[in-house]
Amino acid sequence: MRSAESVAAAGKRPRWAHVLIYGFLGAVALLALTPTVWVMLSSFKTGNQIFSGEGFWPSPFTVQGFVDAFTQIHLHEYLLNTLIYATLGTLGALVAAFLAAYPLARFVFVGRNALVALFSLALALPLVGLATPVFFVVRELGLFDSRLGMVIFYSALQFPFTFIVLRAFLVSTPPELEEAAMMDGAGYFTTLLRVVLPLARPALATVAVVAFVNIWNEFFFANLLLVSQENQNVQLALAGFKSQFGFNVTGAVAGATVVMLVPICLFLILQRQVISGLTAGAVK
Amino acid sequence: MRGPVMVSLLPGITLFGIFFLVPFFVLVATAFARWGGLDFAWVGLDNYQRMFDDPVFFKAFGNTLFYAAASMFIQVPLGVAVGMVLALRPRGWRALRTIIFVPFVISGAAYAVIFSMFYNPRSGLLNNVLGALGLSGDRDWLFDTATARWAVAGTFVFIIGFVVVLVMAEIASIPNEIYEAASVDGATTWQQLTRITLPLLRNVIGTAILVRLLVDIGMFDLVFILTAGGPDDATATLALYAYRAYLNGEWGYANAVGSVILAVGLVLIVTVRRAFRIGERAL
Repeated sequence: MRSAESVAAAGKRPRWAHVLIYGFLGAVALLALTPTVWVMLSSFKTGNQIFSGEGFWPSPFTVQGFVDAFTQIHLHEYLLNTLIYATLGTLGALVAAFLAAYPLARFVFVGRNALVALFSLALALPLVGLATPVFFVVRELGLFDSRLGMVIFYSALQFPFTFIVLRAFLVSTPPELEEAAMMDGAGYFTTLLRVVLPLARPALATVAVVAFVNIWNEFFFANLLLVSQENQNVQLALAGFKSQFGFNVTGAVAGATVVMLVPICLFLILQRQVISGLTAGAVK
Repeated sequence: MRGPVMVSLLPGITLFGIFFLVPFFVLVATAFARWGGLDFAWVGLDNYQRMFDDPVFFKAFGNTLFYAAASMFIQVPLGVAVGMVLALRPRGWRALRTIIFVPFVISGAAYAVIFSMFYNPRSGLLNNVLGALGLSGDRDWLFDTATARWAVAGTFVFIIGFVVVLVMAEIASIPNEIYEAASVDGATTWQQLTRITLPLLRNVIGTAILVRLLVDIGMFDLVFILTAGGPDDATATLALYAYRAYLNGEWGYANAVGSVILAVGLVLIVTVRRAFRIGERAL
């Protein structure tokens, strides 16, 4: 963070450089955000205005779309499912990853490096390739089209990323505190719970946010493993919205806006955690 | 210590074993079988034979590589450029970083909804803007074979937030002294960016490409919802092609395609890691 300041301080930039910098950044931001902002604004439009495509701003302004999203599309049911999947899936991944990361960061034993490499490999492969066998395994376990099954599966799906970041964090922290605790006679799990867990809190918070957003946004495996409407997540609802355009376009657009706003708000509030979590996950 | 360590590793190993390892071995084995639920027979290389005889497979393969190329040659360079400019800390850089990062947290399914509206030939913003500018404003971007792939690529090449934050983090770790010495020697900001910063970003650029390639090789959500692979498979991807086989109950064939997806991923990853010399720092 320090170095860039010196580049900036290296010389006062001339006016044309400012024009260039802000022109470039503005153009990129415009290209990246315009379609999304336009759709979000459209959720305050009437169906007629959406279909006519006239006007960038809502006119007349209405919140009927949001009312429709909940009363007709029953968005809250999908939101509740997704909240369950994202919260419990994140928790499951965190518990499993923390328990595995600690011994694999601290102790040397046969098969340790192989295990770390194996877990890391899962993060480096396009997992959609495993679609059919995952479906098969989940069905054989009796977990197909079940909320519990989805929670367990999402715990597994987020496990490699969570594990890698937590282990890297633990490797970079000194073991003295734990050694002192064990010297005082504390057992393995006592040490883990009383000493390591508080120490790892910032890292846990970081991966938790990223895992939560990942599960919130997950479509592929939800589409593969859930059929009943009562179990579906918000991303499946979004896919369904496209076919709703015909008769309830305002509800569909407003619903999409609500679904998008959850991760956006999380990011705006927890920006630092999201960015450091993603950076750590990629560089490791 | 042995006992507790084993217990501690158990949940992770169980989750990983059941949902990654077992499916992986099922995939490798059944790629050589005709398999659809109850029906099962070993067929040797028949699935691969059929794949290589199917023009749709090659179309899907080509499209997948097209999307990967769009990421590699448009998205990543753009992200690197924006990251380097933001690292100069122009006034308001924090807000700009936030704005440019936000699109990254929106899901593929949401983008499918957004862009099915945006590209709509009659009511979409794109054609309305083009029409207002006096250009032809009646093209059906997503369902015209000439533009479909580009229209799909257009949905994600500007989502550069992830590359931007990676690049900014890497620049922040470059020691100050290098720039001070360069300044003393009279190097301009432009020279510092191109001669010092950019070469030092090699590793992180490789990482960004890797992460992106992984997403592109498995690309499904956007295409599945937006176009279902159409028109005439012009936007179909390998993941979508495999999914169709799965829906048809041709699980063995779907898994043969799945094995190609994993293999392509592995080959590209090894290649990029070599090319950008990633992983030379320890695991």
